[in-house]
Formats: sequence, structure tokens, C-alpha cells
Amino acid sequence: MLTLLLLALLNGVCIGLCRILNGRLGQASDAYYASLWNHGVGFVFLSLLLVSMPTPPIAGLLDAPLYAWLGGVVGAVFVVLNTLVILRLGATLCSLLVISGQLLSGVLFDLVVKAVNPLQLLGVIIIFVGVLAFRRMEARSNSPKQQPLHNQPLKPEKR
Amino acid sequence: MTTKLIRQLMPQLMPQEAAQLMPQEAAQLMPQEPKSQAYIDLKPQASTPLNLMLGLLGGVALAVMIALNSELAKYGSPLLASWVAHGVGTLVALLLLGAVRLRQAALTRRNGAAPWWAYLGGLSGAFTVVLGAMTVNSALGLSASIAFIMAGQILFGLVCDSLGLFGMARRRLNWGQGASLTVMALGALVVLLAQEGA
Repeated sequence: MLTLLLLALLNGVCIGLCRILNGRLGQASDAYYASLWNHGVGFVFLSLLLVSMPTPPIAGLLDAPLYAWLGGVVGAVFVVLNTLVILRLGATLCSLLVISGQLLSGVLFDLVVKAVNPLQLLGVIIIFVGVLAFRRMEARSNSPKQQPLHNQPLKPEKR
Repeated sequence: MTTKLIRQLMPQLMPQEAAQLMPQEAAQLMPQEPKSQAYIDLKPQASTPLNLMLGLLGGVALAVMIALNSELAKYGSPLLASWVAHGVGTLVALLLLGAVRLRQAALTRRNGAAPWWAYLGGLSGAFTVVLGAMTVNSALGLSASIAFIMAGQILFGLVCDSLGLFGMARRRLNWGQGASLTVMALGALVVLLAQEGA
């Protein structure tokens, strides 16, 4: 059980690492470039895995509805969005926002399909209180003494 | 008089000081020339409503992607579905990149130098699929897996932010920011547990 638990934690670390590395690449170029490399490298890696492992036949996928094939479209957009935001907000806040967005869309989906558990709505409200509080706290903490490195104008000045 | 002088000198003084402290990070944070319109700026106070909304929107996109992928996985395996998603994603990203660079007329521009490991984000992203398949279909179960995966992301993010690892800007949280993040995490936990119960 402990092994499984550690594996799940490691999974989270891998996700975080993936987004931070994309952020670093986006910093050198742009978010679209990072998205391209992320998907390209992942595709090659998964191809190697599929070749080396026994897998169900690919032909079975042809029976799937067309929209099920479009996960990659949304995925490419997601990496672009995440790469843009992670450098501005930091990995911690960015992860929390993405997680909140995921859970929020789950709640919205429930809202349409079935009755929503009031606890879910309470959780959503708590999340938004946290987001707003973070914004307030950041504005207050932004004094030059605390953050000597990051308080400089980072954009090159026009002369 | 003196204060005026110092104020004039400050812009020149501060970058030098930073460069002495952390030569590599400072060089990463302050690109010498503007590279494109898509330049990502790293202002310290960046939790603007737009950025926060974009972060949340990313989460919504991720949820949609996972829903579509698991639909596809029913006709094969999670690995196969992720393989297709990465293939489609590569094509879409190529189209997006082409469209953006054509519009900016910046086809000739060079990409800034990125360290080799920055290109390997896709590797750990794809590895996640394997790890996910191992934990979700085990005694740990789905919602506990999700909770620990989320915890892993947040903890790793905290480490990278506070130490400035992997080219992230170094961010030291004050108590208020830490408390706000804790409140967000608690809210997420409440939603997750409520969804399980429903």
C-alpha cells in the first residue's frame, strides 16, 4: 500500500516536472514551441513503449466516436495555456489553479447532469476564497526588500 | 541630491547585484533582447485576474482532455489512447506554432538557448500515463490516487518555487500566501471528497 501511495506521489511529481520543464522551454522560445516538443517527445516515448509491450490492436480505436480522438487537440491547447501561466504564477499556485479548474468543471458537469452535492459547492467557494486571498496577500508582500531579484523591470527597456 | 543620484543609478546597480548573486538565474530572467511578441514576462506580482483565469481555464481544458482520452481508452488501452492524443497533439501544436510565427512574421527568429533537459518535459508527461495506470487500477483506488497525485504536484511545485529549480523564478511565500494556498488545497480536498460521496 505504501508503495502504491509513493507511486501516486511520484506521478504527481512527474506531472509537475513536465509542466515546469515546458515552462523553461517556453521561456527560451514560446509556449507553442514548448507544446510541440512536449507532444513530440511524448509521442516517440509512447511509441517505443507500445512496440515493446503487448497491446490491444490499434484497429479497435477506429470504432471510437470521432470526438474521442480530439483529446490531443485540447491537450495541445492545455500545454500552451499552462506554459504561459506557470512562469508568471509559479509552480505551486499554477498547479493549484489547474487542479481547481479540473474539479470545478467536474462540479459544473454534475450541475448539468444531476443534482449537485452542497458540499461540492462549499468546496468551490473555499477554493475561490483562497484564490482571492492569495491575490490580496501578494499585493501586500510585494516590497523591494523581500524580493530583491524579481522586483527589477525584467522586460528590456526601450531606448 | 544624493537620493536623486541613487535613484538614477539604481536600475544599473540592481541587475549587477543580482548577477553576482546568481549568475545563471539572472541571465535566464533577463533576456538581453526582446525575442518576439509572445515573450513571456516574469513580473513578480503576476496574479492578475487574467493569469488566474487562464490557470483555471487550463484546468477545465485538462478535465475535458482526460474525459475524451478515457473515452478513447475504452476502445483500446490507456497507453494507446495517450499515444493517439500525443500524436494528434503534435500535429495541432505544429499547426499552432506555424500559424503564430507566420502571423508574427518571425520565421527567421532563433529560439533562445534552452538547456537540453528542458526538451524532456514530454518524457515525464508520458511516463505519467504508465504510473497512472499502475495506481488507479489498484487497491489505492481512483479518488485516493487523484488526491495523492495532486499532493505530489503541489509539493513538488513548492520545492521548485522556493529553491528556484529548473529555471523557475525563486518565490518565497509569506505566511499570508502560504495560508491562501492551504485554503485552496483544503477547498480542493472538500470537492474531491464530496464527489466521491455523491
